[in-house]
Amino acid sequence: MALRVTTQRRVLQGVGNGALVLMLLWTAIPFYWMIATSLKHDKEIYGYEATLIPQRPTLENYATVFRETPYLLFLRNSLAVAAGSTLLSMVIACLGAYAIARLNFPGRAFLARSLVFTYLVPTSLLFIPMFAMMSVLRLTDSLHGLIIAYLGFDVPFCTWLLMGYFKSVPVDLEEAARVDGCNRVGALLRIVLPMSLPALVVVTFFSFTHAWNEFLYAHVFTSTTSARTVTTGLVNFMSQDVFFWGPLMASTVMSALPPVLMFLVFQRWVVKGLTLGGVKG
Amino acid sequence: MGTWTTVSLPLPSSRRGLRWRGDRILRFVMHDRILGYLFLFPALLVIVGLVAYPFASAIVMTFQAKTAGAPGRFIGLDNYRELLRSEQFLRAVVNTVSYTAIGVGFKFLLGLSMALVLNQERFGNNLFRSFLLIPWAIPTVMSALNWRWIFDDASGLINNVLVRLELIEETISWLSNPHLAMLSVITVVIWQGTPFFTMSFLAGLQAIPKELYEAAEIDGASVLQQFSYITLPRLRPIFITAVMLSAILTSAGIQFVLILTNGGPSDRTMIFPVLAYHLALGGAQRLGMGAAVSLIFFPILVVFIVFLTRRMLREKGE
Repeated sequence: MALRVTTQRRVLQGVGNGALVLMLLWTAIPFYWMIATSLKHDKEIYGYEATLIPQRPTLENYATVFRETPYLLFLRNSLAVAAGSTLLSMVIACLGAYAIARLNFPGRAFLARSLVFTYLVPTSLLFIPMFAMMSVLRLTDSLHGLIIAYLGFDVPFCTWLLMGYFKSVPVDLEEAARVDGCNRVGALLRIVLPMSLPALVVVTFFSFTHAWNEFLYAHVFTSTTSARTVTTGLVNFMSQDVFFWGPLMASTVMSALPPVLMFLVFQRWVVKGLTLGGVKG
Repeated sequence: MGTWTTVSLPLPSSRRGLRWRGDRILRFVMHDRILGYLFLFPALLVIVGLVAYPFASAIVMTFQAKTAGAPGRFIGLDNYRELLRSEQFLRAVVNTVSYTAIGVGFKFLLGLSMALVLNQERFGNNLFRSFLLIPWAIPTVMSALNWRWIFDDASGLINNVLVRLELIEETISWLSNPHLAMLSVITVVIWQGTPFFTMSFLAGLQAIPKELYEAAEIDGASVLQQFSYITLPRLRPIFITAVMLSAILTSAGIQFVLILTNGGPSDRTMIFPVLAYHLALGGAQRLGMGAAVSLIFFPILVVFIVFLTRRMLREKGE
């Protein structure tokens, strides 16, 4: 019997190897096409001479992006919005999560529940009233407007994630510090936060990449080039029905690189954080 | 802290200790309460200002004829009436359901298979796992643009290869053929969304104690039996969470359709968020109509959201 199970396992291992190869190909081919296109001359991209593998690789498309489009401005805008909303949501979430995890006050459970609930309401249900609100507040076409709008997603998510982590920090440590004359703010800054470093990394990763990747709000709230981010600036390339796929793929590669690199670096923590709650299903 | 420092008054020594202790308790309670609300105030402001208020104003909007920046005019249930009579809306309902069901279904199956495969022992597994997760880390817009180019009528990768292999003579319009458009879009949804399931399920698999399988093996259970009596039941909670989360985000996800087909050809890929977008921000700017589309779908989403809220808080021991 044991032998049979071993045989079964061996067969499954073979099937698994095969499936893995297929899955790797399925995942890799779109990346390959993106990168290959970005390295081709137009002649190799369109028409009869189109190739599958770039014959004479060139960085011309990348140069075109910087020369002929305001890509640097888009990059700067994305960076500013991502950094701004990450910083703000970190501060707000740390305070909120600490309150829910450690302080005892009426309405605490209700507030925790509303935070999670808020996080799960998709932005596509909110973008219409948000657009109306932003128009009234004159926050359209502005990076400040985007930073504020992204808090609506980042704060609930970060608070929820940190809340769980803060609870796992031993209370004794904090109490010892407080006996030594440390107040709540001091305990948060000196004991809880340093011990929650992995969670802070995850939270930073999520809010930063969320802001970097966000499309709907950025697209709806912005109508001028000056406040466009990487995601919306790119789409605008093709809105006039002129597709220059070479430069477009070059900018796609460059825009996808920061979140992918961040993911690869912080992967271990991110996977843990993601399986706890997850975003982007 | 400073404001609460007690000024010691000259009290009779017998009452002094008692008074001091009472003060301290009071001080402690007051601190927790006030500090609690103080700490949560910014988060609360965000929830109210950026979610609750917009949501409430969306409800009001659905009863109005309203354009951006201008005050609305009350028109009762006209928006809803018009929507429920429109063929486009009914089509969007059907599309959203099939788009979500097929998309989530395949993501689930592929994700589970990959999790099982990655859970086998193999040289280089960590590397494979990292690689398989990259579609999740790429900004959705970038994936959508990339796939639009892959599906391109004239020179896209798929047509390019099919022509080369002489499998087709005429190139295929993957995104503008009424019979293919929906399937093409769903393919992209699956490509991007599978890693999330893989990651969740793999974490679940790794949390199952090895002893369970060893014991089952001694009892002579086949691999299939082990899978259905140990693996599946243990993964069930993760299945439910992942499917619900994915159903919410897939049905409400606007980017793929917006970039790949914009709802076309002739509404074949029109799903509710895209319809809301078109009604509210396309030409006529009918914000009320757009909001009504989203709101009709909200009751379905809210069931999922409430259920998930409970689960996610339970996992955190709240």
